[in-house]
Amino acid sequence: MQAKPNTIYRSLDRKAAALTEFTMRQYRTKVSTWVVLGVGLVAISLVMLIYIDVMATGFESVDNDGDSYDFDNDGYPNGQELKLGTDPYMADSHPGLLDPPVEPEPASNYIDEDGFDISLQGTSNLQSTGFDDDGDCYNYDGTSSRKDGNNNNIECDVLLVQNRYTGEWEIVYDLNVDEDPDDAAYVAEATHMAFVLGIGKMGFVLLLGLFLPLFLATGLIRDEMSAGTMHYMLAKPIARTEVFLYRILGYLGIVWPYFIVLGVIFATISGFMGPGEGVFRFQDLGVWLAIVFATMMASFVYGMLFCTMGVMWRYGIVLAIPFAAWELGMCLVSMGAPEAAILRFSVIGWALMIVDAAAVLVWPNMDLFLLKGNSMQDFSAIKSSALALDFFYSKPGIGSSGLVSSVIATVVLLIQGAFLWFIGGAIFKGKEIE
Amino acid sequence: MMPDFDQDGKGETKQWQPDLTVPAVLLEGVSKSYGRIFALSNITMALNGGVTGVLGMNGAGKSTMFKLLMGKLKPSQGKIRLFGTDPWKNPAPYARVGFVPEHEKMYDWMTAHQFVSTFARLNGLTRAEAGVEADRVLNFVGLADVAHKKLGQYSKGMRQRAKIAHALVNDPDLIILDEPLQGCDPLARTTIMNVIRELGRMGRTVLVSSHILQEIERITEQIIILHNGRLLALGNLHAIREKLDQIPHRITIEADDAKALAKDVIDMDGVQGISFPDQKNLTIQTHNLGAIHAQLPKVIVDHAHTVHTIDNPDDDLASILGYLTSGGGV
Repeated sequence: MQAKPNTIYRSLDRKAAALTEFTMRQYRTKVSTWVVLGVGLVAISLVMLIYIDVMATGFESVDNDGDSYDFDNDGYPNGQELKLGTDPYMADSHPGLLDPPVEPEPASNYIDEDGFDISLQGTSNLQSTGFDDDGDCYNYDGTSSRKDGNNNNIECDVLLVQNRYTGEWEIVYDLNVDEDPDDAAYVAEATHMAFVLGIGKMGFVLLLGLFLPLFLATGLIRDEMSAGTMHYMLAKPIARTEVFLYRILGYLGIVWPYFIVLGVIFATISGFMGPGEGVFRFQDLGVWLAIVFATMMASFVYGMLFCTMGVMWRYGIVLAIPFAAWELGMCLVSMGAPEAAILRFSVIGWALMIVDAAAVLVWPNMDLFLLKGNSMQDFSAIKSSALALDFFYSKPGIGSSGLVSSVIATVVLLIQGAFLWFIGGAIFKGKEIE
Repeated sequence: MMPDFDQDGKGETKQWQPDLTVPAVLLEGVSKSYGRIFALSNITMALNGGVTGVLGMNGAGKSTMFKLLMGKLKPSQGKIRLFGTDPWKNPAPYARVGFVPEHEKMYDWMTAHQFVSTFARLNGLTRAEAGVEADRVLNFVGLADVAHKKLGQYSKGMRQRAKIAHALVNDPDLIILDEPLQGCDPLARTTIMNVIRELGRMGRTVLVSSHILQEIERITEQIIILHNGRLLALGNLHAIREKLDQIPHRITIEADDAKALAKDVIDMDGVQGISFPDQKNLTIQTHNLGAIHAQLPKVIVDHAHTVHTIDNPDDDLASILGYLTSGGGV
């Protein structure tokens, strides 16, 4: 092979490669590394097992409007009687007496028979949408005003109203319209998305992204200083800031592949287990990509930070733990109030913004989906699942679009990491090594 | 500029240019204090070429001086230069320096070859070059046949030699060895001493510390004596020794019949007095150590005495220090 000319860059990346390789090999020989990675895997797998169990069990549909029952015991479910205009409360009025007579339908036809047909079109803040699937509004034996409960002069529709001050939408239904949606489908979809976001944010970004660096990066320089082995590295013509950076690169060489492998496993499992018409939910891959990327970015910044704390003080982990608690708090704040200004002073706030941005891009109809769920009765399965999803889902807090938010968040995290490298390197440079 | 992932180029190690008009090692009024305790106090010296032994008791400041030279510690006062460059501010001179630290801890999971070649790459060598260089230095320190064994399985002496190989891999002009003989078995000791003497013959500047006079004596004549952080003496060991011989010395002999031996010894030139610590031992006091050592073997053989040991309890660092600190001076 032809020899390449020598430049200062070449000799630099020879050093980088040597020290990075060395650091990775050193991690592999330590039992503590495997314990930490193993505990992380077990912890996050337990959550995944719950998800698998929930998805495999499936969800049961409930008759939300009670029209699968037969109140008058005439053999016809209430829904069929309502649709055909007979009285469901009187046994001597039923579709069998009509001309021609109608056979009774099975009760199961009247479960999940009137799903959501709501869609949002245009920018008007007062929109009529939807219709009555099962005909129990159209055929309702009553006045027109009973059929137009939302007073928009259209019978049997759904009215979407946007609050002109808060910008929030509200759904106002006409009587018996969209009153019995498919619980199983909604709950499965909402639970799936809540799990993906929950595992992604709490499991990956917080648990792995924060605690792996806490245990793996704090001793990156400090352990060598304490053991006296730092002398072997620093006896060579290499700047201490370089040593700092290459040690971090070695640490990332261990944790980043770990995140990627876990991300691929989890994306595959949830892709196959999740609800949907196809075999595999390809649309979620964008969110998983963002989750893994956010975790990598978080572990990069935390790695720099905890390594710096280790250099600062022999008991650097004591400095790191309060910070980890702060980040845990910020993680929870980010889910409740993603626009809170205090999040700008955290690492996890920015990392979670990447996940939020991807969720907004990948699931563009999330607002309406949540709105539908929240419009259901309290304590219904649909509303509960919508609330769970609402907890983990938030919009990028800086008010920009998904793409812009994720770019800004990535740049901020890179700047944070670079700044910490600068600080950590400067502190290391001024440290006397016994 | 693409990174050199395959690393097949030719290594570049010497971007930094040393100032060859100044001594390799220069200390000017260097002090290092921890609070009010001086670990090193006002040291001034310049070294260039040859092997220099740094003698001192534990805590005399030998390691502190080496760590200052290696830029691990920052001097409280004074100026340190390696080839004209301040090592605290710039690690570049280490391209021409090898350092053997006193610490025992090593990377036990690495083989000696991995250990030496990995850190050789921090000199800017390619992977292949580092491998070749590692083979060369491991052969030089006599570890070629065990180069691919894990450091964790090495004996103390082998570990010391691996550390020396690590220090020599960049073919340095200045080699600093902190207590390289400590804890070594006699074989390793001899090998290491030979290596150090060989480096001296090759014209390298070598600094080697020890607290045992006889060790240093077998390696070099040029010594520095540190005591309580102060530079007590700098010069030729012989000059110091000759002065030392002028002061009262003791020679202890263990013999089967100490009393009979005493009768024959008392007539020798230079003997000032004889005492018997116990039945089997005899102690001779003298001002002229050389004369006694010249006559003693003949007396013992002529009179057929059975002698077990001859010992010079005063011929060690402690007595030199005692002499120098009592105002003898060199």
